[in-house]
Order: sequence, then C-alpha cells, then structure tokens
Amino acid sequence: MSTVEATTTALVTESAPDNKTRRYDRQLRLWAASGQSALENARILVVSGGATATSILKNLVLPGVGHFTILDPLPVTPEDAGNNFFLDGLNSVGKSRAEEGVRLLLEMNDGVDGKADTRSLEEVLDTPGGKEWLGEFTLVIAVNLEKGPLERLAAVLWEEESFPPLVVVRPAGFLAEFYIQYHEHTVIESHPETAQSLQIDRPFPALLDYAMSLDFENMDVTDHGHVPYVVILVRVLEEWKKTHDGLPPQNAAEKVQFKKNILAMRKKPDEENFEEAEAQAYRAWTKTVVPSETRALFDDAKVISPSSVEAPFYKLVRALKKFVEGSGALPLTSTLPDMKASTSAYIDLQKLYKTRAEEEKEVFRGCLSEACGGDIKAIGEDMIDAFVKNSHALKLLRGKRWAALDEDHEALVLATQTSSKQLAVHLALSALSNFLAKSKTSGQTLSAEALTAEAQKLLPDGTELPEEFEDCVGEVVRSPTAELPNTAALLGGLVAQEAIKMITRQYVPINGYCIVDLVETWTGIL
Amino acid sequence: MSSESSTLVHDWPGRYHHIDQVLNTPGPRTDPGFLAGDGVKDFLRNKAKILVIGAGGLGCEILANLALTGFKDIHVIDMDTIDISNLNRQFLFRQKDVGKPKATVAAQFIMNRVPGVKVTPYFGKIQDKDDDYYLQFDLVICGLDSVEARRWMNATLVNLVDPEKPDSLKPMIDGGTEGFKGQARVILPTITSCYECSLDMLNKPTAFPICTIANTPRLPEHCIEWASVLEWPRVHGDKKMDTDDPDHIGWLYKVAAARAAEFKIEGVTWSLTQGVVKNIIPAIASTNAIIAGTDGVYSYTFEHEKRDDCPVCGGEAVDMTINSDTTVEQLIEILIEKQDIQIKKPSLSTSTKQIYLQAPPQLEQATRPNLEKKVSELVPPGGEITVTASTLPFSLSLRISYEA
Repeated sequence: MSTVEATTTALVTESAPDNKTRRYDRQLRLWAASGQSALENARILVVSGGATATSILKNLVLPGVGHFTILDPLPVTPEDAGNNFFLDGLNSVGKSRAEEGVRLLLEMNDGVDGKADTRSLEEVLDTPGGKEWLGEFTLVIAVNLEKGPLERLAAVLWEEESFPPLVVVRPAGFLAEFYIQYHEHTVIESHPETAQSLQIDRPFPALLDYAMSLDFENMDVTDHGHVPYVVILVRVLEEWKKTHDGLPPQNAAEKVQFKKNILAMRKKPDEENFEEAEAQAYRAWTKTVVPSETRALFDDAKVISPSSVEAPFYKLVRALKKFVEGSGALPLTSTLPDMKASTSAYIDLQKLYKTRAEEEKEVFRGCLSEACGGDIKAIGEDMIDAFVKNSHALKLLRGKRWAALDEDHEALVLATQTSSKQLAVHLALSALSNFLAKSKTSGQTLSAEALTAEAQKLLPDGTELPEEFEDCVGEVVRSPTAELPNTAALLGGLVAQEAIKMITRQYVPINGYCIVDLVETWTGIL
Repeated sequence: MSSESSTLVHDWPGRYHHIDQVLNTPGPRTDPGFLAGDGVKDFLRNKAKILVIGAGGLGCEILANLALTGFKDIHVIDMDTIDISNLNRQFLFRQKDVGKPKATVAAQFIMNRVPGVKVTPYFGKIQDKDDDYYLQFDLVICGLDSVEARRWMNATLVNLVDPEKPDSLKPMIDGGTEGFKGQARVILPTITSCYECSLDMLNKPTAFPICTIANTPRLPEHCIEWASVLEWPRVHGDKKMDTDDPDHIGWLYKVAAARAAEFKIEGVTWSLTQGVVKNIIPAIASTNAIIAGTDGVYSYTFEHEKRDDCPVCGGEAVDMTINSDTTVEQLIEILIEKQDIQIKKPSLSTSTKQIYLQAPPQLEQATRPNLEKKVSELVPPGGEITVTASTLPFSLSLRISYEA
C-alpha cells in the first residue's frame, strides 16, 4: 500500500455506490437525489394506452417514476399492434390495451409500480369520488381524447389549485401539439446558465480588507503571479475610486485606462492572473443588480398579501425582499469559479466568500423567520440552501386553463401576426377535434373545406387564417388519426421531459402550447 | 415468440394503418420526388436495407422506430457490452443482460417484439468492416458517442462515393445527446457539408493544465486528475486503468480525497471521481427519444456550410502558410492546436521522405533529429506534407507556403 493510500483510508467514508445509484447515475447528474426522490414519489395518470401514451410512459418508467396508471377501456386492435412498441404483436390483439401496456412497460424497471384501469374516462368522471380519485395523482396526461371528455377532464382539474396539472397531447400524422394546464408553477432550482454575481463592484468588508492588505510591490514573484483576479480587481477598483470621486470607470476611455492600470501592476509580462483580471475587468464596473424577474416577484400580489395556505416559495420570496431592502443585493454566492491562483490563495479567497455567504444566509434566515412568524423548521434547511443559491434565477409561472387561447380573440389575432406558423398547426388540430366531435352526429366526411370552415369559426370575424394553414390542413386531412412511430417517439420524449420538470420542480417547463411540425422539422411555443 | 417463427409471420391486415396514411397520399409539402403508394411501401418493407451504428441510448430508439415504421432488414453495429448505468434509458436491455453485447441483445429484442423484422447484429468495431460491407446499405444512421468514430464513419462514406455509380452515395443521419440537449443532422456525402467540415464547431474538451494538477490544485477535479493522470501510472506502472472497474475508481477516489484533504479542497466524491475519469455525459431516455424522432422543445435548424478546404470532402490539399523559420516540432504543435483538424500525435511525411513518425519506436528515433530542423529545409515552397494520426480517419495533405 502506498503512503497516500495508507493515510487516506481513515478519512474516506464513502464506499462504492449501490446498484440503484449506478443504474440512475446518468440522470442523477442532471437532477440529483432531490429530483430523483420527487420522481419516485410521483403518481402519474395517463388517459389512453395508444402508441404516443406508451412512448411517454416509457420515458417516465425508465428513470423510475413511482407509480403510473393507464386508464383505457379499449381492447387492442390489429392497428394498435402495428404501431405500439409496448404491445406484443398479434398476441396482444383483443386483450386490454391498458393491461398489455402496463405489463410490457413494467418489464423495463422493477422499481416502478403500474396499474391498468379499464374504465372509461366518462365512467370515472360520472362516479361519485371520481374527482377525488383524479386529484390524488401528481400529474395527468391525456392523449388524443375526444373533445367532450377532454373538456370535462380539463374543467374538473382546473377547479382546485391543489389538483394535478394536466398535459393535453394531440398528434395527427407529422403534426402535433401538447399543452400543460396548471394554475401556477414555482421553480427554485431552475439550473440557470449564468452564475451568481461575485459582487466585485461592492466587495464585502473582509474581501476589501484582504485586497488592500496585500503588498503587491514587495511580494515574492511567484506569489505575485498567483493572486486571484477577483482580489486584483477589488484592489484596482478601490484605488481607482480614490481618484475618481468614488466612482467606477464611467466610459470607454476610462475602461481602457482601468485595464491599463491592471496590466501595469505586472512584474513579468506573462503573468496569467493579471491577463485574466484584464479579461474579467467588466465585473468591476458592472453593477450588481437584482434581476428584473426577481424584482417583479417582490411585487407579486401573493408575495404582498400573505395567506395561511401559501406554498413555502412565497414565504421565501417575502424574506428575500426583506433581505434585499436591507443589503441592497441578493445574498452573496458561496461558489467561486476556477481562476489562475495558487492553491492557498484560492482556498483563502474561497473561505472569505464562504464565511460571508454563511453570514448573509443567517441574515436571510432572520428575514425568513420574520416572514414565517418565527417557525422556519417547516421549510427545511435544504430548501433554504437551494433558495439562497438560486435567488438570481427564481421562476414563477402562471398558467391558463386548457383551451383558453381558443376563446381569447385578442390573443388569437395577435398570434396570426407573431406566431403564424405555430398558430396554423394549432388551428388545424383544434379544427380536427371540433369536426370529429360534430361528425359523430352529422355524418359529414372529413375534407380540407370542412376543417377550414371549422378553423375560421375559431377566429374572430374578419380575421384571416394564417397563410401556413392550408399546408397544415392538408397534412391533417391525409393523416387525421395517424400516430406515427417517429412522431410518437418525439412526443414521448418531449412530454416526458416536461413532466419530469413539473414533477421535480427543477428546470423550467413550457408555459403554453408546444407545437411540433415534423415535415419541416421544427418545434415552437404558442 | 422466437425470432425463428416471427420471421414467418406475415404482415396482418391493419398492421400499417397508421404509417400508410402518410405513404398512400402525398401531403402538401412532400417532396415532388416522393411517389406515394405501393412503390414506396414495397421499397420500405421489402427492399430497403438500413445500417444503425451504435446500440446505445440513441441506437435503441432508432431501432425501435425503424422496426415500427416497417423496415424489415436492419443491421446494427456496436462494440460495447451492457452496463448497469445503461438501463435508465437503453430500453431494449434488462438487468439480466448486463455484460452481454449491446448489438446482439438489441437485435434479439426487436425481433421478438416486432414480428417479421430481421435485425442483424455485429458485435465489434465499425473499422472491422470494409467498403463492400457499407456499400450494401441504403442509409446509415449513427447514434455514436465519440467524435473519433463519427469522423471515421463520415470519411469512409465520403470516400465510398463513386461519381459513376449513384448507388455508392449513402446518406448518413447523425445524432447526439447531452443531458436535456441534443442534435441531429443529415449528411449526403460529397453533396452537403460533411461531419469534418464543421469539426471546429465542437466544444474543446475540458483539459486541465498539467502544472495546475501537479502544483496548484484548486478544484476537486484537479485532485481527481492528479490521481488518474499522475498517481495511477506512478503507482501501478504499466497496468492499464479500467474506468469501469469499481476497484479502480475506488482507488482513484481515495487518492484524490487524500490530496484534497491535504490542500483543504472540498467536494471530491465517488460520483465526481467517476464523472471526471470517464468523462461522463448525463443521459436520459427522453432526450434520446426526441433526437431519434428529431429535435427538441427549443429546437432550431440551420445549414452547415460545406468547406472547400475540408480535408475529407474538399478533395484538395489544405493550404498552410508558415514562417520559414518554423521548425518541424513547432509545426506539430500548430497542428495539434488547430480546432478544425483535432489531432493528437501527428506523423509527417512527404512523397519522398519521412519527416517525423510517432511510431514504431525505431522510426521515431530515426526521425527525431528532424524535429529541430526548419520545415523549409525539408519541404520546398508549394510542397505537400502528408499528415497521419491514429485519431485521424484519413490522411491530410498540407500544401506548404512560407511567409515572405
């Protein structure tokens, strides 16, 4: 055993990961244990057991969703057996589509619980207690439902804010759309691309003291080449302010001079830490601000007026507002990016940031305690930590009822101008749904003319259909009931991905319709 | 149902009810060349021969989609065996399959599930196969995880094109995913831009300078790199590190954790150790399904430019201007730095002499003195240098000119 090994055995406690961790390794790197736990506690209801529905479920069963139910009264047809991967060819024909789907989906993951329910949606909705039964799911996904039952389902799930969100999926050949109906959705861990500010323009006292205490002139040459750029910038900025009325560089000329001042400090021409400081100089004059989206949260009606049943998110935002009023900025980050530095200089700087971040978190906890009337235990340390770390990227999404767009004339007219190709697909699919509901009684045959007339009815008088509509309607007419394997696979991926975002409350899900056109290969948001 | 009997099952009435809706009639935007009806159905179901490269996350999706679409003659190549960490997305594999070849298990699964489809697996490398093998297919679809394999496949298909024989042009569809993101593109060798044309668009892999790793570690990753790059060879000599061996990862983790403790660096974990040494890219089923279907929620499409000076499909030598004082060693450094070539250990020669060869050792030794010589002493202005490297699936011709 080498000496390194001998000295370490004592301090290492983590052993090789267990089978479950190994199985889920690649996804845990995306949503961590907290996201996985949310997924494993989730209960999903999928209405319909067709090819698109099982494609969606496949991508939820594989990562380990807790439970799913397929609600479908229909037997497997030869047509189903031809396009659904979760049926066993002709062997499945005549059996329950829900039961066959559940059986073959569960083969992929023993950790998942699945149930087939062979009632129809109408039966559930007509049963006393049906509403409560629906309410116990985390998320409901409805694929290719007829207009009538779909509208009933959407209306029921919209009744209470506590009812599960509803994902409505409508495919027709190469075209498709899906929509997530929710009242609101809050996200703390949005996984933003941008890091929190290092607040170099307003250095905290310990950082400023440290930067001012260094004797750059008489420093050892090696040490000089390893002072982190953050420290260099704080120092140069402070010196600058002394001769500029306490202000950072104001214009292009001053900024150039500021950079020259940085480079003038070098002892050797190849000191990379000073080059890095020059490249990062903008951080010295970029004012640390509260992002406008966060600021807007502070003025949200729900933040202003506390309620007894509100989500912890609102208490946290209220506390953040209080914190910002006191300190003028969001809580300091405790994470330092890598930079040219010696180990000790970097670790010292990291310690300064961590200590200060802890102090600011304490202040935040004080604000939170005030917002909660003294008791912050219910919120939990993990959530407080995550909230502080992500306070620059909080998200509050407010959604609309399913089909609200189709009743909003103003929004439709606007969409003909701003998102005509997305709207064209949506109108074609809505027209198809409306037509099919009526043709049951009228017996009218499907045609481009009939769908165009339906679509025109959706728009206010005098508004023209988007020019892309004709192509979309042609596509719908040739394949009105087709669930193509490729479209199903794509929707399976998209819908499952959005479902995972909703369930884990990580990353930012869509707010509106996602429109898919696989003839021209694009997706868009309406 | 065994594959034996499944090949006897004939298409049943209604089997292709869904897909036939788009095959029977053209749509408003289908290509004028698309001949809807029996011809296209016959081609798809009875004639087309498709090659899928890679039976991983994307490969599993592609195979299932092709089979359901009606393709009956599918071939699949993959050199890997199944690991437990594949099971969160590679849905043709089960716990009991861990350790078995991906290509074989995937092929068997598809044949069991989708009656009448023949999937022919090959458990091995794409480089094992020759031009005649690739010439038999109508389409090549790649779900690969390495740049090197994509470059080889791309170069092979470009070289396959014989202007006299239109059939020799094999369209290639290439996909890739990373976490929630991914991409897919179609390459028509010699007609559209090829993979090599846009090589400079790839992100440079994260590489930590060796002096940081050795002297000034700051991040947990630096400690892990120290353990794998410096300590492993020092302690274990020639014994190869196997990043799939939990004992090896365990050793690296311990050594990295000790170094981190020594430098007061926080954050070395088992998972991070594995992530860094295996260069793990997060992967989930939903993204693979999207890419196999095509693009994502926030998707966009753009056209890659075909580069006239592309070393694979440009067909010409690449012009390069260097200083007349540039030494062979400096030229090698310049080549390694070039983002649009991406080579590690290039060997250089002209049509008449060897300039510098990385291997075998005898030739390396014999050509080493040339490293210090000026290129201008060895190659006349306008002369060509042939560059080869193990990571380069073709030989690159450089036409050298010298700065005045």
